[in-house]
Amino acid sequence: MESEEYGDANGLVRLLDVHRPELLRFLTARCGSADEAEDVVQEMWIKVSGQATGPITNGRAYLFRMANNLVLDRARGRRRSMQRERTWLEAEGGGVAHMPEDRADPGEPADEIIAREQEAEVLRDAIAALPEGAQRALRLYRFDEIGQKEIADIMGISRSGVEKHLALAMKRLRQALADCGAFDAAASREHGDPGLNQGQGGGKPHMEQGR
Amino acid sequence: MKSEDDTILAEAARWHIASGDDAMDWDAFTLWLEADPRHSSAYNEVALTDGLLQEYRDTLQDASEPLADEPLIAVNDAAPLETALETASEGAEIIRPAFGKRIRWAGFAIAATLAAVLAIPQFMAPASQVYETTAASRQIALEDGSTIMLAPRSSLTVEGRHQDHMALSGGALFDIRHDPDRQLTITAGGLRISDIGTRFDVQAQDKRVRVSVVEGKVEVSSERLTAPVQLAAGKRLSFDGDAGTASVAEVRSEDVGAWEKGRLSYDNAPLALVVTDLHRYAGVEVAVPDALRDRRFSGTLVISDGDAALRDLAQVMGLRLGGRAGAWRLEQPAS
Repeated sequence: MESEEYGDANGLVRLLDVHRPELLRFLTARCGSADEAEDVVQEMWIKVSGQATGPITNGRAYLFRMANNLVLDRARGRRRSMQRERTWLEAEGGGVAHMPEDRADPGEPADEIIAREQEAEVLRDAIAALPEGAQRALRLYRFDEIGQKEIADIMGISRSGVEKHLALAMKRLRQALADCGAFDAAASREHGDPGLNQGQGGGKPHMEQGR
Repeated sequence: MKSEDDTILAEAARWHIASGDDAMDWDAFTLWLEADPRHSSAYNEVALTDGLLQEYRDTLQDASEPLADEPLIAVNDAAPLETALETASEGAEIIRPAFGKRIRWAGFAIAATLAAVLAIPQFMAPASQVYETTAASRQIALEDGSTIMLAPRSSLTVEGRHQDHMALSGGALFDIRHDPDRQLTITAGGLRISDIGTRFDVQAQDKRVRVSVVEGKVEVSSERLTAPVQLAAGKRLSFDGDAGTASVAEVRSEDVGAWEKGRLSYDNAPLALVVTDLHRYAGVEVAVPDALRDRRFSGTLVISDGDAALRDLAQVMGLRLGGRAGAWRLEQPAS
């Protein structure tokens, strides 16, 4: 049977084949669109078949993580380009006059650098404002790149305690960024539901307020 | 701040943190995402935040202690007490990702990739057909006259020039014509089911798979099983890929594929499995605490009304049905 041949050639390709329905279902829920889910699976397939992988202990989890990361890459790109658009519109004064592509110099990198610096600053302050445990766990996790299990040992708390600290930290940092309008366009566009923008002033960018 | 959004964000953060671990329960995460479109947006924001954190890592790390003269913005003015409560309660509602369970795909892991280039035409050329159902089941006719009834909320991929390679997630009742030249293979949740012409039912959710044979005989194999299992008519194999166990029991043929006639019959089935089926076939969601997941249920549920089926289940098992429509919970009664 021909399907056997490629199955033994590349374990991940075969696994992708086996788990495709579940991955599609996951991606459809994750992207909110069946078409985009298909795109991502195609992207995965290209990556997986052209990639030399070392031994993988849990191939299924590996594929799900890969799918999740690809969706995130897309979201990241979308957020950046929306931010860019917004900056141009703002610069037009009122933001009604021109479409972004009509602007003379749409690629102004200075804007972006400023935006990044502001984001970093918001994050720095938000980290400093975290409760002690959450702050320590987060620093170990993200700056010292220590695994959750090891953090539990270092801090002398349970594994789920570490998870709670980290989740709280992520939630607070996300709130800080949201309050500065960091997700305004990107998040609400996906499902047409602006319900998660709890920041002051809703849809308006407030990047400067952090100062 | 709307408390509902706050809960969603807390859950999103929990999922994001859990996703860094090998033992992440991706199926439970999928269900969570499907439960509400806002979940995906919330998750994105949390994950993007973490992405920025890593992107600015060097900058942030240098200034690990905020300078004294720099104005410090209290982002979330939480009193210490509130913080403690928040920390304690956050994530309490979420389906706990199961840690410590790991499947080794030894056979797949040693992946030689050179031949992958050759594999492209085979993978791409006989375009695979993907059938997906939502609330209703659907009949699929194969070219050779075989039929497959695909259960609600299920997905079947059919591939191969002879439509002989399938992957199932969810439930399906297969009625396959005998053809000596072709062997049909179905992959479902880590199991391979091979068949030469028979009538059988497959239910696959996560790594739990049940195969029930009405007529003929199928062969079931898996990396997790030491040897293939021959399954004859009137037998049901229950496979748990996480535990690496499989058991074979008698099954009444009228109970096989009974979901098509609006009922689900069980003999000593774990509650977690029954609840999964109820979601698939009756469209009701119910949370089950870990302690109850392996509680056994025997009996028949009528699935035309999901909420009623849930009430019946709770009553038979002596459990309490808490929560509200759309967010039911099965609980151990206090006394």
